[in-house]
Amino acid sequence: MLKKLTQFYYPETIEEACKYLGKKGEKTAVVAGGTSEALRQDNSIEALVDISRVKELNYIRKDSSIYRIGATTPIQDIYKCSDLKGPSGEILKYTAGKIGSTLLRNSITAGGNLAAIFPWSDLPPVYLALDAEVVLRKGKPKRTVPVENLINERPNKFLGENEIIAEIAVPVYGKGTGTSFVKFAKTANDYSMITVATRVTLKSGKIEQARIALNAVTISPVRIKDAEKILEGQKPTSDLIAEAAAKTAEKAEIRKDFRASKEYKREVLEVLVRRSLEEALEMAKK
Amino acid sequence: MKLNTRINGKDYCLEINPNAMLVDVLRQAGLKSVKFGCGEGSCGCCAVMIDGKPRNSCITLAGLAEGAEILTVEGMGNPQEPHALQQAFVDSGSTQCGYCNPGSLIAAKALLDSNPNPSAEDVKDALDGNLCRCTGYVKRIDAVLSAAKAMKKSKKTSRGKK
Ligand SMILES: Cc1cc2nc3c(=O)[nH]c(=O)nc-3n(C[C@H](O)[C@H](O)[C@H](O)COP(=O)(O)OP(=O)(O)OC[C@H]3O[C@@H](n4cnc5c(N)ncnc54)[C@H](O)[C@@H]3O)c2cc1C
Repeated sequence: MLKKLTQFYYPETIEEACKYLGKKGEKTAVVAGGTSEALRQDNSIEALVDISRVKELNYIRKDSSIYRIGATTPIQDIYKCSDLKGPSGEILKYTAGKIGSTLLRNSITAGGNLAAIFPWSDLPPVYLALDAEVVLRKGKPKRTVPVENLINERPNKFLGENEIIAEIAVPVYGKGTGTSFVKFAKTANDYSMITVATRVTLKSGKIEQARIALNAVTISPVRIKDAEKILEGQKPTSDLIAEAAAKTAEKAEIRKDFRASKEYKREVLEVLVRRSLEEALEMAKK
Repeated sequence: MKLNTRINGKDYCLEINPNAMLVDVLRQAGLKSVKFGCGEGSCGCCAVMIDGKPRNSCITLAGLAEGAEILTVEGMGNPQEPHALQQAFVDSGSTQCGYCNPGSLIAAKALLDSNPNPSAEDVKDALDGNLCRCTGYVKRIDAVLSAAKAMKKSKKTSRGKK
């Protein structure tokens, strides 16, 4: 309920935002879309730093081989972006369109969706499948780290006190790569029960790189590396894909929730991973 | 704290609680078209346009609207001079209990502002955050499509006048 909140700051630049966050003697937090911050039960926060009007954080750009998505870019802009193409562009757009609703997508930002990680967060597992990196800023100083590190260590622990997510950098893949995103939910706008994001990159008829990332069925976004290893270096066959899907279901630490039993989810997970890999492979062969 | 916004073309300086949600602030300012529904961003009754984008005001901290331009249904039209969308909602039977209408109208207006020739699929996509428990959705889609047609027609006839 943010009971202690007394004021908002409206910085116009990244450096200004970080300055407010680093202010001594006042407990501050970032707010962007505000969709999870609004419902946050934290009665220690005294001021919110609204970064949604920092213009230098709102963009989708492509340079050489990377899509760069600014942290305050609304998810709706990703969904509707006609410049996002190819195996990574398509999965980003498709996934963004599966998040919430138009009204929510206009609020939810790319940075907020990655900073507040929930089991139902849809884009973070896609970033894992695409080997994306995240650019963090602490005023002027910046560091670029794999999204995987940020997720594994939890963003709220990983980020310094006056540090923000500034950009998500997603490699552009070309011919020979396929991607797939599957969201399994009870209804079109219920929280996901099982989320699967996969990527297959082929080279000379063999799988050079494979990524299998999950969320929702697990407590947070995670790659199943034992299953990826089964695929890498091999010729893609349906038996091999089935084996990787079975390994994923075996290794995934399945989260408990009221929607379905663990046994049910494990069984469905195997099927969804198999189909997702098949779909990615199909795209890679085109 | 103070909140400075422009609502339906009029400037406001409102005294608000820092943790207030925009839906409550707007209703307290007299804009009763804005409805409180689920309070968690799922139903869309509270949708208003903030700087041209329809968003759920129930999970938008009012402070985020500082300096913003807000549009509610009061700013779209009134019973004497309804907006083409409002008229189409009435004519098509998209208005039954009416609770979802303000939010749906705002989402529909945002669609037509950016896409004056939407397909039925576009309408479904744009209104995907506005639940309606009375009409079964079909009438609402018809209404938006016929409003789009009506707006094009009136644009043609009024061309040159503006
Ligand atoms: C009804 C509903 C349904 C939803 N469904 C889905 C869904 O299906 N899939 C999905 O993926 N998401 C979904 N979401 C969104 C998700 O739950 C979060 O609310 C959202 O991702 C948060 O983004 P935001 O921009 O609103 O962040 P905010 O609420 O503004 O911030 C969230 C947190 O991140 C921090 N933060 C924000 N930006 C930055 C930054 N740049 N750097 C550092 N820290 C930052 C804030 O300090 C805060 O702690 C849904 C939300 C709602 C309300």
